[in-house]
Amino acid sequence: MAYEALDFYDVDSLLTEEERMVRDMVRDWVDEEVIPNIEIACRDGVFPDEWRVALGEMGVLGAPLKGYDCPGLSYTAYGVICRELERGDSGLRSFASVQGSLAMYPIWDFGSEEQKNHYLPKMASGEWIGCFGLTEPDYGSNPGDMITKAEDMGDHYLLNGAKMWITNGSIAELAIVWAKLDGVIRGFIVEKNDPGFSAPEMKGKHSLKASVTSELVFQDCKIPKDRMLPGVKGLRGPFSCLNNARFGISWGALGSAQACFDSAKDYAMSRIQFNHPIASYQLVQNKLSWMLREITKGQLLAYHLGQKKDAGTWIPEHISLAKMNNVDIALEIARVARDIHGANGILDEYPIMRHMANLESVKTYEGTHDIHNLIIGRHITGIQAFTREA
Amino acid sequence: MNFTIIAETNGDALHPTTYQLVRAAANMGSNSTVICPNGIGADEAAKINGVDKVISATGDCFNIFDGGAWASAISPICGDITLISASPNGREIGSRIAAIKDIPIIQDIVSMTEGVTVTRPIYSGKAMESLTISGNAVITLRPNAFEAALTGNDAPISVVNQSADVKIAIQEAIDKASERLDVTEADIIISGGRGMGTIDNFSHLEEIADTIGAAVGASRAVVDEWGMPHRMQVGQTGKTVTPSLYIAVGISGAIQHLAGMRSSKYILAINKDPDAPIFAVADYGVVATWEEAIPALKTALSELQ
Amino acid sequence: MNITVLLKQVPDTTAKITISNGKVDENSVSKWSMSPYDEYALESGLQLKEATGGNLVAITCGPERTKKMLTDAAAVGADTLVHISDDGVTDSTHVQQLLAAAVKKYDSHVVLCGKQAADTNAGSTGPGVAELIDAACITLVSEVNHSEGNFLTIRPSNSGTEKVMVSGLSVFAFDKGTSELRRPNVRGIMMAKKKPIEAISSSDLGVNLSSSNVKLNSQNPPPEKPAGQKFEGAEHINEVVSKLRNEANVI
Repeated sequence: MAYEALDFYDVDSLLTEEERMVRDMVRDWVDEEVIPNIEIACRDGVFPDEWRVALGEMGVLGAPLKGYDCPGLSYTAYGVICRELERGDSGLRSFASVQGSLAMYPIWDFGSEEQKNHYLPKMASGEWIGCFGLTEPDYGSNPGDMITKAEDMGDHYLLNGAKMWITNGSIAELAIVWAKLDGVIRGFIVEKNDPGFSAPEMKGKHSLKASVTSELVFQDCKIPKDRMLPGVKGLRGPFSCLNNARFGISWGALGSAQACFDSAKDYAMSRIQFNHPIASYQLVQNKLSWMLREITKGQLLAYHLGQKKDAGTWIPEHISLAKMNNVDIALEIARVARDIHGANGILDEYPIMRHMANLESVKTYEGTHDIHNLIIGRHITGIQAFTREA
Repeated sequence: MNFTIIAETNGDALHPTTYQLVRAAANMGSNSTVICPNGIGADEAAKINGVDKVISATGDCFNIFDGGAWASAISPICGDITLISASPNGREIGSRIAAIKDIPIIQDIVSMTEGVTVTRPIYSGKAMESLTISGNAVITLRPNAFEAALTGNDAPISVVNQSADVKIAIQEAIDKASERLDVTEADIIISGGRGMGTIDNFSHLEEIADTIGAAVGASRAVVDEWGMPHRMQVGQTGKTVTPSLYIAVGISGAIQHLAGMRSSKYILAINKDPDAPIFAVADYGVVATWEEAIPALKTALSELQ
Repeated sequence: MNITVLLKQVPDTTAKITISNGKVDENSVSKWSMSPYDEYALESGLQLKEATGGNLVAITCGPERTKKMLTDAAAVGADTLVHISDDGVTDSTHVQQLLAAAVKKYDSHVVLCGKQAADTNAGSTGPGVAELIDAACITLVSEVNHSEGNFLTIRPSNSGTEKVMVSGLSVFAFDKGTSELRRPNVRGIMMAKKKPIEAISSSDLGVNLSSSNVKLNSQNPPPEKPAGQKFEGAEHINEVVSKLRNEANVI
């Protein structure tokens, strides 16, 4: 059954025909293959391998990257893809975000020609999965103080340290690992069979259950010299990746919000209490109206940001605002949707609790809500408020 | 204006639709000529009130169904307005005849009045369209939308031998696979819920499904508790279905079940609890246990076949 | 082999149909899609092309909006896209004449279409076009294969299905096919976007359409369903079954 998205201001009519065709392709796939299977995947705590294959076949991985067999779409198209995937599940969108923005992008932007030719085609086709190691057990919002380090041993590098909360870690063929070499942050490509590298899965999540989350452990991990990304030094490397991923999240969260809105609307229309559908009561209409209002504003924000990204007129603070706002409203919409569903809202027959629990992670990862607030705060005042030192 | 009817047959006899075609013409104040392809049902057709004459169209071309050959054999003996059943074969022959004669074809009408003015459903019944046809035309009629003509007549039968070029050849007949339809494909679904008592009792629903070519569905409760295949599950986390007819047996109608089937065109609910919520969405409700209702339903449906 | 697929764009089968002033309001249709049975015809055409080589021509007759559907067809592999502007033609006999002329213009060896379109649900196009191009037509088929100059297809029969052989120019009208429909991918979409659509008119095709003898009076919402009827006891089953046949017309 064709999905009709809430698009109160016809924002999608601003997309190019190509962007709309990509949207419909991903949307249909999500309806046919993801939504009917997502609850089982969550219950089993697995990311279905068929989804990796399908994303590769559709050709959406690394959407905005050009050349090296990458799709070469617009950033707006990338946003649309994220939105459609996340209407299915945030874990699915996370998979695509990590593969495209956090693993393929740094190779594409900072890698050597050999690295690009070697890795990107197989990553675009979905054959090789990548992951991204920045966060450490003790360094989340403050990655600059990371302790993972690389030593130049002459004919190879030696990596020591640990990364945590790594999406796709245990299913990845390669990891983009950020580590300090002589005190300077550098990016390294670590392959899964490199000696001294392991990626144990983290179990027991109540959120993003259909997504693989892992630790990356480096114990005298030996990697060849040609695996360092030559093109970037310092935090600019990981932050460039994160900007792209956060851009995708700002669209993706709207997908979750729409799924919750759709379910709440359907439920309110069919649930009879006191002889009438609860949708006919003012308190419920107020909630639905608020949801529509926030989703519509979020759509305009995401679309305009997409245009700025494609035009190259964006600054990181633009992305912070959109990520912060759209995840925030999506999470609140999920909570209100749960309320409208009453007790039924806690069942896995409805997508509500799944999206709600997922969005708790999305609010925290890729720059927490509060950190994005501080980024905006610094932009307004010129005063950084992250740390009391400095 | 004269009416020609191309008889719809079923094996060696007339299909009940043929009587409806004659009645539809009679309602327009016109007797009709009935053409019986391959001579099938000619004697029977002669007895239908409102038939002026019967033409038994014979010839080798009628031995297998090739719409092109049939149309080319039949069209020379058709009059101003040709009526055919809107069955798949009827639609095909009708389209061909209209193309041969360069006249309009109107398919699947459900009413016909002076003018000639007809109505037909469009957009799968989401709207009705009224059309007026001037001049000659081919019109196909939806089965069971018109009343049947009565019998008692004794119209003359003439035999016309026709020939036409058959362009197709049957290579192999393949017997119907015993596989039952999937709930998402079927036009009729019969679903059971906890009220069926045990999983074994689903065999009664399966028998009915086989009689009428329906799919068998189930509520989540029985899929979970009795381990039935998930593909049978209709509802919020199962399949969303929109058949012409949904028969719910022993299903109380939890909101999650209704979410999957409430868009069905017609709903028949059978439940022993008169207050079951399923009755609120049912077009037809029968308050009875499945043990009482299912045998009666089976008999009534097989009598229709 | 030149493979022609006839496609029609219809309101998506899940879309709401709104009627205003006695006419279906096409502007209110939220989504237009390729008619579902046509999708199976297209899929089968793509498979025939892969098996035998050749060129797949996708033809539609309709207003401007239908060009989008041709681009969708190109995204999964249609080679040539042909748009016949319909100039408001609705009489199916006229549409058949335009389509038949286009089938000839593109020198087709085989024509595939859906058994009926999801708007009128009529089913006139396949057999009608076949008559006009003097071709065999087999309807309600689920697959078509090509072998040693013949087409082999499967259609329903009284006892199940039958395999039917036909040679020469043929029309196949598809029911739901046995193959899964292929999905487009980004590469296909980007190529489709660049593919030109050949726009032709009735005069380009040399077709002189006579005036139609069919006049549309009005389009209306379906009659309201009667309120739900509830019967106490299994003895009413017979009555309910006869209502299902005569009132609801569903069995």
